[in-house]
Parts: sequence; C-alpha cells; structure tokens
Amino acid sequence: MTSFNFKRHEIESKRFLLVDDFGDMRSMLRMMLNSIGVRAIDTANNGVEAIAALAREHYDIVLCDYNLGRGKNGQDVLEEARYRRLIGLDAIFVMLTAENTREWVMGAVEYEPDSYLTKPFTKDLLKSRLERLILKRQDLQQVAAAVSVHDYPAALRILDEKIAGQPQNLGELTRQKAEILYRAGEYRRAEVVYQQVLATREMTWARLGLGKTFYATGRLEHAARLFQGLLQENQRLTAAYDWLARTQQALGRWEEAQQVLQQALIHSPKSLLRQRALGDLALKNGDTSVADQAFTEALKLGRNSVYKAPLIYVRLAWLKSRSGRAGAALKIVDEMEREFNSSDEARLYASLTRAMVEQHRGSPDEARRLMRQTEALYAALGANAAAEQMLEMARSYAELGELGNAQTLLEQVICNNHDDRMLLQQVEALIAQYALAVDAKRHVASIRREIVKLNNRGVKLAKTGRYSEVLRLFSDAVATMPDNKVVNLNAARVMIMTMHHGGIAQEQLARVRDLLDHARTLDPAEPALHQVQQMYRDLMASSA
Amino acid sequence: MKQSGMYFADILASLIHDMKNSLWLVISTLESITAEALPRTEQEKVFTLQQEAKRLNTNLIELLTLYKIENERVSPNIEELNLAEFLHELMMENRAAAHSQRVNLRAECDHSLNGYFDEGLVRGVVNSLIGNGLRYTREHLLISATEEEGYLVIRVEDDGEGFPPEMLAAQDVCDNHALFAGGRTQLGIYFAGMVAKMHRNRAQQGYIRLTNRHTLSGGCFALFLP
Repeated sequence: MTSFNFKRHEIESKRFLLVDDFGDMRSMLRMMLNSIGVRAIDTANNGVEAIAALAREHYDIVLCDYNLGRGKNGQDVLEEARYRRLIGLDAIFVMLTAENTREWVMGAVEYEPDSYLTKPFTKDLLKSRLERLILKRQDLQQVAAAVSVHDYPAALRILDEKIAGQPQNLGELTRQKAEILYRAGEYRRAEVVYQQVLATREMTWARLGLGKTFYATGRLEHAARLFQGLLQENQRLTAAYDWLARTQQALGRWEEAQQVLQQALIHSPKSLLRQRALGDLALKNGDTSVADQAFTEALKLGRNSVYKAPLIYVRLAWLKSRSGRAGAALKIVDEMEREFNSSDEARLYASLTRAMVEQHRGSPDEARRLMRQTEALYAALGANAAAEQMLEMARSYAELGELGNAQTLLEQVICNNHDDRMLLQQVEALIAQYALAVDAKRHVASIRREIVKLNNRGVKLAKTGRYSEVLRLFSDAVATMPDNKVVNLNAARVMIMTMHHGGIAQEQLARVRDLLDHARTLDPAEPALHQVQQMYRDLMASSA
Repeated sequence: MKQSGMYFADILASLIHDMKNSLWLVISTLESITAEALPRTEQEKVFTLQQEAKRLNTNLIELLTLYKIENERVSPNIEELNLAEFLHELMMENRAAAHSQRVNLRAECDHSLNGYFDEGLVRGVVNSLIGNGLRYTREHLLISATEEEGYLVIRVEDDGEGFPPEMLAAQDVCDNHALFAGGRTQLGIYFAGMVAKMHRNRAQQGYIRLTNRHTLSGGCFALFLP
C-alpha cells in the first residue's frame, strides 16, 4: 500500500496540545497519543486556557475540538493563535469535529486548519493523518515562509517548480498558486489559473476564486452573477454570500447587499465580521433596528474573537444615543475603553462618541468642550491616524454642526486614498448624510489626473536620461500628498529604476526604504507594495 | 417554518454530536480492552460490542446526513483527493476490527490515482460497506480504486456468499424501496446510492453497482463517481 518515506519517531518527538471541554475526551485522546508513542502532551479545557497555553509554550501539533462549550470555539482559538502568531509556521492545527463542518467555513474564513478530523477516529487513523500532515508541512514549508513575509514572487517560484514535476498533489498546489497570485494583486494571472481548473472540472473553490478576480478587476456584474449561481447550487456556501454582498455594495445596491447578508446569517449567525458588515449596511439603509441587533451581536461575539474592534462599540453607542438612550450609549463607551485597555484609538473613539452623546441630548457646550479634548487626542496620533479614524472625526464634527472641519478632513481622506473604492464609498455616504459641500468625484478625478500627468512626465524625462529631474519630480509629489500610498510607491519605483541605470546611491536607497515603510503602514495589504518590494530586493541582489 | 426547521436541525445535530462522543468513548475503551490478553470467548464478546457500537455510529452519521439532504439541500464539497492516501486511511480505521475478526483486509490502488469527491460523505459510505463486508466475508476483504471510462470506481469485495439475486435484480429497476426493505444492512446501500447521486460532473452522475464474483468469490459493491 502507500509507503511513506517517514522517519520513525517523527510524531513521537512532537509536542502536543489537546483542547476539549470534555474531561473523558481529553483523557481518551491522551491515551491514544500515548499509545502511538507521544509523551509531551498538555491539555486545555476551553478556548481561553488554550490561548494561554499557546502563549506560554511552543507546540508542534494542536488537536482542538471545534465545540468547546461556552466562549471561544475551535475556530476562534485557531484565528487568535495564527493572528497573534502564537503558533509557528511549522505548527499543525487539526480541528476535531462531530460532523463535516468544512462546507460552511470554506473560503469564508481567513484562517483554515491544516485538517479536519471527524470524530470518532481510531488511533491508527490519527497516526496516519498526522504523518501525512507532517510530510505535507515539510513539503510546503518554504512556500509558507515566503508568504508570511509577503514575498509572493518567491512563493510562486517554488510552487511553479513543484508543479512542473507533476506531483500527486497537483490540484492542491494549483489552488495555492491561484490564491497567492490573487493576494499579490496579479488578478489576471489568478483568473487564468482558475479558468484552467474550471475548464476540466467544476470546482467550488475555483469558481469562487474566479468571482473574486472579477470583483477585483471591476467586472462587478459578472461577479454578482457568478456568486448568485454558486448560491443556487449550494445555499449554505457562506463565502459566496459575503462576496455577493460585497459586490452588490460596490454596485451601490445596498438594500440587496443587506438582504444577502441577512440570508447568510440565517445559516451561520456566529460570524462577527458578517454581523458587523450587516450593521454597517443597515445603517446606510436607515434600518436602525437591524443595525442595532447586528452590532449588539457583533459586540457579543467580539468578546471571544480577534476581530473585535472599537468601531463596533462606536456604532452601537451612536445608535443608542440617537434613539435617546444616552445612558446605554455611555455604558457602551466605558466598556470599549475597558476592553481595549484605553489604547490611543479607544480613547479617541470614546472621547468623540461622548461628544456626540452630549450633542444628541441637548448639551452642545459640553459636546464642544469634549470635541476640543478629542482634537488633542487626534493630534497626538499625528501621521499615524488611520483613514477610519479620520472618518470618525469627520462624522463627529458633522454631528456637532462643525461642517467646515468635517469637510477639510474628508478632503484629506480623499487625497490620501483616491484609489480605495470601499473607503471612498464611506466618504460619499458621510457627505450625503450630512449634506457636506465636498465633491468627492471631482477630487478623485483631479488627483488621478495629477498622478497620471506626473508619471507621464517622469517617463519622458527618464527617456532622455534626466534622472535627477525625475527624482525631484516624484519627491515633490510625495511632499504634497505624503499619505497617498500610490504616490509613495510610484516614487519608490522610480528611484529603484534610476538606480538600475545609474548605480546604487546609499542615500537614495535609504529614501526608498522610508517610502516602502511608510506605504506599509498606510496599507500592508496593498498588492503594488509587494511588487515594489520585490523590485527593491532584485536591485539589492543585482548589486551584490 | 424555516426558523423552527433550523431549530430542529440544531437540536438534532447537537444530540448526535453528544451521542457520537459517548460512542467514541465506548469504542475506544473497548479497543483498549481487546489489546489486553483475554480468553478467546471473552475477546469475541468484546468484539461484538465493538462492532455494534461502530454500527450505531455509522447509522447516526447516515441519519444526520440523510436528514440534511432532505431538509437543507446539502451539496457535496468536492475536493481533489489522492486515492492511495484515502484508502490508506480507511485501512487504518478498520485494521484493528479486521484483525480481531481474522479477516485479511487489503487495499489496491495506483499511487498516482486522484479523484474528485466529498471526502466526508464517501468515507462514511465506504466505512459502512467495510462494516457490512466484515460480517459477510469468509477470509478476505478487498478495497480497491481504479479509473474506468471517466469514472472513479471504488469497490469493496468479499469472498462470502455474495448478494442474493433479488437484491441484484432490485438495483436494475432502481427500486430503492426493495433495497431498503431488505433490513438494516440495506440502509447502508440506500445511503451509498444517495451519496453517489449527489456527485455530478457536467452530464455525468454517480451511481452504485452490486455484482457477485468480481475478483473475489463473493459480493462486490462498486461506487462509480464522475
């Protein structure tokens, strides 16, 4: 039968963590592991204990029951462990389930376990599965390492080499390749891979991936039809609901988007991100009771999840305050400060929310006083203020009737994020809600024109070898739009290109690193960032 | 209506979850008993208990899956799987049971053979077929996987009496009720048929086939997946 090239004692030497809320189950699993030679085994009774153990000790393999009673479930544990990097890249996480739960999590969550194991299983099966996972992990170790530092080109190179050898796990490698291409922002190449897979066989993951590439490249109607088709085939595919809602939203069909999310929540109500998205949509649609319910649910789920966020509290407090329940609103604000240990962000949000509550309950003087305090907190954030926080500041100004301040801030948000479709939608929603005198579309268009003009001029100058003028041009652009990631990345790209021609200059190299660092703080997930980082690495390699 | 349906499904799922936990404890405790040196007669009693507990577990899985198919229009989660690995795990799951019943359980399959199917559903089917096979075989039980005319074929064969003629006849007229009426061992076959049909690729649809004397002298159950 299948003969594995497997070193003996490989499993025996691993350190295990067993997570199950049922004592008999823990001792039985321990017995099983003992009988296959494992000695180093720790146990945890619930999610909180599991996280504490993972933070304290290094484990090679985690066996975690999905169902852990009250509090965190197995998926929460996995998400927190991976998100906080409590478990290493080489660690294996196996989710133990009572039935096949795979379907409803597929593609709907960012973190998937290495394997699902359906109970009951024999020790022989457990052993054979673990051996297979260890081998697989070793095989893909380099790919995972490259992905974890966002070195997508390296990850793709390794995958392509493996794929060329026509291995047994070709399908799995192909799927990884497509996903990495998507993450790297290479949507057209990802699309080609998905299409190739679908040409031979209908596979849900490939169909879903194809829809994502449609969405990412702005073919929204195509994307919507595709996701609808997937849902017709399988009404429990929650990932398809999420993507359909996102697509409808991008198309400006907010009511439809809200309905889609409400359907998804019938099947899988315990998703914090989905509840939060529903709350935001319902707010936009003026459906305050649905919004209240969704944010309340999101807040509850957040107690066990890494996806908890101060903005959920802010929204809920705003809703309460708006319906005349100042007391309830202030209680939520207090809870937020506690939950987030009075972080700078939480204090800013708490302060501006309190200002709004005072305004709503008819104390405009107190509201203004609190708003001035908020400004001090905001100023302390300096260049670190995130777009989200700027939007909230603008909203508070608008609520207090300080429209001029709100407008100035929103113009700044547009200037920094002219290519972020979702964020611009939020800006436009605020403008509409408070009837502000900002023409977002005109702003965006003029910034786009500005950037195109700049690039054209740069190319022209570079063609005639006037590199120093090119550099000056882009440095000036960064000075006028310091927090626009596209401008930052374009400047870094140009500097690298000029060094390819004119040789390395240490000062300029340092400047490139600054620009990349800044772009990274603005948006670590920006695909263009990874491309420019790769250019930087290539430059260093070619000069070495 | 929808709400109460969901509610019932939740209760059913969590009850079955709980029952399966209990059964697992029973099965694995019994496993640790057989490992010790017991007199032959006692060993056989323990084995019977073990087999019945496993059958209960298989039935619970079938029950839950059938309920879901009827009520929630479940569609299979198709993945690409390597058959050598898949059969290897099935061997591992059933090795101890076969050994204690002195049945020679073997698997045959090309290492490079991959297939597309719902792992959880097909695993349930094949496990239940192996459970049946262990009851009806004399000495040998063979699990195999091949590719035949665009279908992946997973077979479970034994060297027992073979399927009775009325069962072989019933499948030709797609008479699920006749199959089903045959008693509790036939539930597995009914379930297998449902799972097979859930697998589609373009115009092709999965099906099952019962025959006798394929490569061994007894019954042969074949699951055809597109």
